Amino acid sequence: MKPDGKVVLLGDMNVGKTSLLHRYMERRFQGTVSTVGGAFFLKQWGPHHISLWDTAGREQFHGLGSMYCRGAAAVILTYDVTNLQSIVELEDRFLALTDTANADCIFAVVGNKVDLTDSCALLPEAEDERPSEKPASGCVPTKVKRQVHADDAIALYKKILKYRMLDEKDVPAAEKMCFETSAKTGYMVDHLFETVFDMVVPTILEQKAEGPSQIVDLNNCKTAKNTQRSCCR
Amino acid sequence: MSVKAFKLVPAVEREMLMGDKARINIECIECCGKNLYIGTNDGSIYHFLLEEKNSPDEKTSFTVTKQLHKYLSVRKAVGELKAASALNRLLVLCDSAIMLVNMMNLEPIPTGARIKGAVTFTLNENPVSGDPFCVEVCIVSVKRRTIQLFLVYEDRVQIVKEVFTQEQPCAVAVDGHYLCLALTTQYIILNYNTGASQDLFPYSSEERRPIVKRIGRQEFLLAGPGGLGMFATVDGISQRAPVHWSENVIGAALCFPYVVALDEEFITVHSMLDQQQKQTLAFKDGHILQDFEGKVIVATTKGVYILVPLPLERQIQDLLASHRVEEALVLARGARRNIPKEKFQVMYKRILQQAGFIQFAQLQFLEAKELFRSGQLDVRELISLYPFLLPASSSFIRSHPPLHEYADLNQLTQGDQEKMAKCKQFLMSYLNEVRSTDVANGYKEDVDTALLKLYAEANHESLLDLLASENFCILTDSATWLEKHKKFFALGLLYHSNGQDAAALQLWVKIVNGDIQDSTRTDLYEYIVDFLTSCSDHELVWKYAEWLLQQSEEIGIYVFTRRPQEEGQDNSFNPDDVMSCLNKYPKSLVKYLEFLVLERRIQKEKYHTHLAVLYLEKVLNLKSLEAERNEELFETKAKLQSLLRESDLYRTRFILDKISGSDLHMECAILYGKLEEHDKALHILVHVLKDFAAAEDYCVWNSKNRGILYRQKLFHMLLTAYLNSSSAEHELVMAAVDLLNSHAADFDAALVLRLLPDSWSVQLLSSFLAGAMRESIHSQRMSQIALGLAKAENLIYKHEKVKLKGDTTVLSDRKLCQVCQTPFCEPAFVRYPNGSVVHTHCAAGRLVTSNTNRHFSSPSGRT
Ligand SMILES: Nc1nc2c(ncn2[C@@H]2O[C@H](COP(=O)(O)OP(=O)(O)OP(=O)(O)O)[C@@H](O)[C@H]2O)c(=O)[nH]1
Ligand SMILES: [Mg+2]
Repeated sequence: MKPDGKVVLLGDMNVGKTSLLHRYMERRFQGTVSTVGGAFFLKQWGPHHISLWDTAGREQFHGLGSMYCRGAAAVILTYDVTNLQSIVELEDRFLALTDTANADCIFAVVGNKVDLTDSCALLPEAEDERPSEKPASGCVPTKVKRQVHADDAIALYKKILKYRMLDEKDVPAAEKMCFETSAKTGYMVDHLFETVFDMVVPTILEQKAEGPSQIVDLNNCKTAKNTQRSCCR
Repeated sequence: MSVKAFKLVPAVEREMLMGDKARINIECIECCGKNLYIGTNDGSIYHFLLEEKNSPDEKTSFTVTKQLHKYLSVRKAVGELKAASALNRLLVLCDSAIMLVNMMNLEPIPTGARIKGAVTFTLNENPVSGDPFCVEVCIVSVKRRTIQLFLVYEDRVQIVKEVFTQEQPCAVAVDGHYLCLALTTQYIILNYNTGASQDLFPYSSEERRPIVKRIGRQEFLLAGPGGLGMFATVDGISQRAPVHWSENVIGAALCFPYVVALDEEFITVHSMLDQQQKQTLAFKDGHILQDFEGKVIVATTKGVYILVPLPLERQIQDLLASHRVEEALVLARGARRNIPKEKFQVMYKRILQQAGFIQFAQLQFLEAKELFRSGQLDVRELISLYPFLLPASSSFIRSHPPLHEYADLNQLTQGDQEKMAKCKQFLMSYLNEVRSTDVANGYKEDVDTALLKLYAEANHESLLDLLASENFCILTDSATWLEKHKKFFALGLLYHSNGQDAAALQLWVKIVNGDIQDSTRTDLYEYIVDFLTSCSDHELVWKYAEWLLQQSEEIGIYVFTRRPQEEGQDNSFNPDDVMSCLNKYPKSLVKYLEFLVLERRIQKEKYHTHLAVLYLEKVLNLKSLEAERNEELFETKAKLQSLLRESDLYRTRFILDKISGSDLHMECAILYGKLEEHDKALHILVHVLKDFAAAEDYCVWNSKNRGILYRQKLFHMLLTAYLNSSSAEHELVMAAVDLLNSHAADFDAALVLRLLPDSWSVQLLSSFLAGAMRESIHSQRMSQIALGLAKAENLIYKHEKVKLKGDTTVLSDRKLCQVCQTPFCEPAFVRYPNGSVVHTHCAAGRLVTSNTNRHFSSPSGRT
């Protein structure tokens, strides 16, 4: 079956991309191994089929990112709130991979593992887990200092817009597109994916309306890419 | 997670090629149909004929016969071989040139056409030229960073295009206009027609040999970093997740749904459906791995082997055999597009059914049910697992080969009673669900019979529902089963639903009589009564009527009295027949007569008299028992009186004769009333019974619907009876006063006053007098009003008359009749109230044809 739209998760290794997808698709959090290459899930969203690509964060597979992002309707840039380097990497390493994504690609910036931070006591109840379990298996024993704050994510989002040469007025607001999640407790995970899917649907409809021309015109892609590159330098 | 997807079969062994010449190595292979070509490093080509033979033990093997061995002119290694069967040509890459040789005799073509300067080449399997007599060849040129495209015909070669790349290409695959190239540091897709290129991903071809393989329309398989097998379309998109090979993969081939890869030690098999590694075969010194039209061939430098795919069905069966249902289904679904639709559907259905039985055996009933449903399982397959459930008459035979390994449920559960019960429970609910759906079509008998058996065995209450509703239970089979489980009541229902009411009744009667035991219904007797009441077979009703009455006279009689109305007159029983049957059952007889007289309101003297007599006899009988059954006596008396009062049909004199001599005075009075012998009646009421209320009542009901005069007459008689008593008892006087005061309107006051003793005070009678007065004044005023109204009406008519007379009607020659529009010729005419004048005969005619109406547009609205 040919998916109608593509959503790609990018981010450094170990930030929890695979865990987020597992949590969303299989409603659970289990041990993961570092992803090799990539993997994908098909998600039925209303009448549409959306493919969800999990990429490998390891340096070794970095080169594959561009190809995975080609034609993406949305890119979810993921970092780990307890690891400053992980958000730095997003800008340094991963943003360039999105050159191949659709021109109207939607971006979301997601800080994962909020359950580890000391502010987690303030979090509302986890969506799936029973509350009684939370103190035992939740965040209490391993408090880590939060290294990335919401402002940093918003700043990144704005940098992305600049990089993509998009006007803030034409795209969803930064506050709306920056998320903090926990794949472990399920906190905000559904909200993240559902928000992104809802935003992807108009793109899908547009594509469907345009008819069966699903072949990407190499010429156009190339020129588009080049202009972006040259402008940002 | 392993499947046996392939097996490795040797094809060409060392002896057949180089014998013991150690220096000689296999360089390349090509397989086209049955032709297997092998190129070696000493510049020779071998041609073998490869024939598959299927021996009965399923061990596929090949017979390989050597056809030719040909040395090329230059003693250099043969780099690559590709057959172009449409041209009968073999393309041979040797010493940087591609030459064409005849596929059969391996002789170079006479024209000597060749492509020079090729490092490697490939054929376009999705050609764009459309000419069947040429092949499109793409070469990596010895010139730096150059790709060339040629059209190769039977005996000539034509260059089509030369394309330059940004880096040195080292491997190429073609699909249509798209080239998939492994450059020094990356893979790209290049459209040689437009020149547009698209980067795929970086890859260091110096570290590892790149792999570029076309795997289908517009899709390629590439060796990626970290031993990944990456999929990419000509659009530069990956539509499948990568497979994970080892780092030092040498070659890859495709045999749907598997990707086969070769490294130094192993052949690995991954599924494209779930990216999982499915099989690993040890294979040392592998060197070449290629697929040719679905045939996967591997070679070392010394020998050639074939990877024979096990039939998909076999693989699926293996998975099912190891209970890996999910994987089997994924594999089956993945095979959909590789198998003709019809065949696929048959196969897939079967797999679903098998999977269903696997789940069933694990007591995963929900999953099993879903699989049975989607696999459109013949439910009898399932039923047949349960011993004895299928009716003996069923034509069912299990499908062959069997869908599962179980002989029956006993084997499946290994005698575990709890499991057995669960399985039965499942079948019950499953059959109940499907029995009214398409699934049961064609074998509803088998389904319903099986369900009945299950219900009966489990003592399930739905048994009765099943039998009471429309069902297809087979009689003989079900009857035996029900008997065995002592479900006699249900058996009766079964007989009934098969139209054998007599048998049903016989059985039920036996249960009631205690001849056989079945406690299903404690109210079975009432049930039988109901049953017969609505039974249209009268013979049957007669047969059991006596038995019913013997059981209970009161309830048994319902069979006659509660018959459904819609039966219609002709269909109901003849009352006389019924009565003669009821002779022995007095209580029933009474009930039946009550039914006829009070309910059906049959206006026949016979029944009314009979009922009255029966009541009377009962009353007399009860009376003789003294106070023992007072209640009943009281009731019966009330009934008797009510009948005597309401009915006008019974033989009054006859009853009266019977009654006289007894002390049934009230009844006696009623009878006199019927005979209009009111003085006798009132005498009894007043003087014998001294029941003044009853006397008043008597007057009221006897004068009902008979006008005020009759009523006054009766009341007057009552009053006379009170007053004319010889022994002017005080009691009677008081009764008379009360009567007058409370029924003032029912007396003719004038007559009353004449009757009253003078001694009575006005005060005593004030209420009566006031009432009588009011009545009198009222009637006087009413007549005055009537009189006035009549006068007024009279006046109106007079007025009309005068008005009409006032106008003169002039009749002249010129005046025309309004109807026929001709003049009048004689003096007689008719004048209508609106003034129109017509001939007398026209007026007469107008009465007949009233449509002349419209001629007289009457000003007064009246014509
Ligand atoms: N506490 C906590 N741990 C998390 C969370 N999400 C992921 N982890 C853990 O972080 C580790 C890495 O998670 P993965 O999902 O494999 O990370 P990834 O981004 O897919 O990594 P790569 O596949 O290597 O790119 C695992 O040990 C997870 O258990 C989270 O929300 N909270
Ligand atoms: Mg991962």
